[in-house]
Amino acid sequence: MKKSIILALFLILLLGISSAVSAAEEVEVALLYPLSGPLTEAGKRMKSVYEVAAEVINGSYDIQGVPYAKSEGIPGLNGAKITVKFYDTQGSPEVGKAETERILQEGTAKLIIGAYQSAVSKPTSFVAERHKFPFLCAVSSSAALTERGLKYFFRVAPTDFHDSRMFFNFLDDMRKQGKKVENVAIVYEKTEFGVHAMKEVKKRVDESKGIYQVVADVPYAFKSTDVNAEVLKIKAAKPDVIIHATLFSEMTLFAKTYENLGVKSNANLSFCGGYQNPKFASQLKDTVEGYMGSCTFAEDFIRKKAQLKTINEMYKAKTGMNLDGIAMEGFTTLFVAVDAFSRAKATDPESVTQALRTTELVIATLPGKGVKFDENGQNIWIDSTMSQIQKGEYKVVWPSDWATTAMVWPMRP
Amino acid sequence: MDVTIFLQLVISGLLIGFVFSLIAVGLTLIWGVMDILNFAHGDFLMLAMFSAFLMFANLGVDPVFSLPVIVGLLFFVGLLTFRLVIKPVLGYHALIALLATFGLSIFIRNVVLFFLGPDFRVINQSVLAGKRISFLGLHLSLPQLVSAIGCVLITYVVYLFISKSKFGRALRATALDKDTALLMGINTNRVFALTFGLGAACVGAAGGFLVNFYYVFPEVGLNFAILSFVIVALGGFGNIGGAFLAGILVGLVENIGGFFVGPEFKYTLVFILYLIVISLRPKGLFGW
Repeated sequence: MKKSIILALFLILLLGISSAVSAAEEVEVALLYPLSGPLTEAGKRMKSVYEVAAEVINGSYDIQGVPYAKSEGIPGLNGAKITVKFYDTQGSPEVGKAETERILQEGTAKLIIGAYQSAVSKPTSFVAERHKFPFLCAVSSSAALTERGLKYFFRVAPTDFHDSRMFFNFLDDMRKQGKKVENVAIVYEKTEFGVHAMKEVKKRVDESKGIYQVVADVPYAFKSTDVNAEVLKIKAAKPDVIIHATLFSEMTLFAKTYENLGVKSNANLSFCGGYQNPKFASQLKDTVEGYMGSCTFAEDFIRKKAQLKTINEMYKAKTGMNLDGIAMEGFTTLFVAVDAFSRAKATDPESVTQALRTTELVIATLPGKGVKFDENGQNIWIDSTMSQIQKGEYKVVWPSDWATTAMVWPMRP
Repeated sequence: MDVTIFLQLVISGLLIGFVFSLIAVGLTLIWGVMDILNFAHGDFLMLAMFSAFLMFANLGVDPVFSLPVIVGLLFFVGLLTFRLVIKPVLGYHALIALLATFGLSIFIRNVVLFFLGPDFRVINQSVLAGKRISFLGLHLSLPQLVSAIGCVLITYVVYLFISKSKFGRALRATALDKDTALLMGINTNRVFALTFGLGAACVGAAGGFLVNFYYVFPEVGLNFAILSFVIVALGGFGNIGGAFLAGILVGLVENIGGFFVGPEFKYTLVFILYLIVISLRPKGLFGW
């Protein structure tokens, strides 16, 4: 009897140890992205970058300034490997919510990273919050996402606030150089992303106390068949600067219609969106020469940070394209997750969330020091730069400490 | 308001309206003769655009010159669709044919997605790309102008073909009463097949033109399909002239209404117009 009790206790102990070991072997992260529907292209690019990030984390790469690249797995969890599992939001908030519920019901993922659009990140993170489950947002830019008082939501990317502040600092700088930039047109898709970008621009205009004026406020419907009315509204207002919060499909239409209808402005600035897709520059060529936008990564960055070449080459081998800012934000986000797992030395939601709250990850992948979240979960160590399309390539042109190339002004001389 | 801006709005509305018209003509033709609403119509448009893009990217054939091939290809796709998808369900409840085209739509989109990927593609180096005619402060984009003229001509040719040719008479007879047409010796299955082919060829021509100034991706057809359903209903189901005029009307409402009321409401205005018309004339503006 005594022997059988000891044997049973031994077996229970063994079972416990073996499950702890298997838990330490792999840590699954669920990724919510649009893998079908109108944003499939963006979703597939994100999928590729997370696969590259997982490869770097699980392998041993000598990339200076990128912690966890050399260490093979998650150091704090005995070198456990990170695995990424993708869930398709189809670009729809409803589908995104259902997929989040599925992730939580399956119970294998230790953290969620998502989603591409702000309109999908918003409801999906609410679902995670209800379940007290950590949710890392890589790229959605609506500032409102981190103004909801959520406790389990953290965002790595800069927001519309950061981008709009950068835009107006840039415009202030141009104004000091005697360039005409006071009349601003804001063009945005009528979604969570576009509307919040517009609100941030208007806040910056109000803060300027009359220096800048919004001369055209042009919202448009996502998936438009043409944008003639929108562009003519802009043309009638004769703006000095056009600011876009526009995804790829409409951005191509706008660029072509500006050209067709002879719209001229000194600068065309873009929030995070269609402008950053490398195909925007490579496919539209002369049509988009001189366009500018916020940029957290372009191939040009390698001139300042040579160690990022390895990551860019790995991504390029998978997609045939250079990394862009959005992809690099995704790449960095998986490292934030690994950092949290490693410091928490556990994978339960509370420990991981607590570790995320105390994140101070110094990483060289993005402009700024790295990643540290404020009480709302927004990364306060992130920065942004201004890039410009010159001869089909994205060149960093502002601020001066990041600039590699002289800016072309006005954009259509 | 600046007069040139208003004139530009009218011109832009007309140019895009003519393209809408040709897309809708293909749809209304199939509906008018067969009482089948082809849900894969937008996907036929996408196939045409992709075919033009691939011929341009791989063979260097400009979309202007590949147009006849695209029209022929889509005619064949239409015939094939009739033979494999529509014919087996003819004689059953109309809903079955409608669901069959719905399934076909999902199938086409996913096959393209699988083989060609989700990427957006743009032709920006064609003979027409980036060119425009400017006068008195007005601008006419050459790709859109050529497309509009092409769409008007093709719509007119289709109209003449239906109203004057022997096949056109057979088609109209079949549309009026299939059984009587059969008794008169008309091979109605052949009429159906050619109608499907002709409808697909029309949307193929529209796609061949559209690729000159619009991006291509596997779901591009959906953007136009919904509008073309509205245009067909607005013009009167089965009425080619109706679809043509309704397409122009939609283009003008979208542009002029969008400018004055607000671009975010331009599709709302189109749907309000549609609701007003069908409440006053349930068979559409030119339906009978």
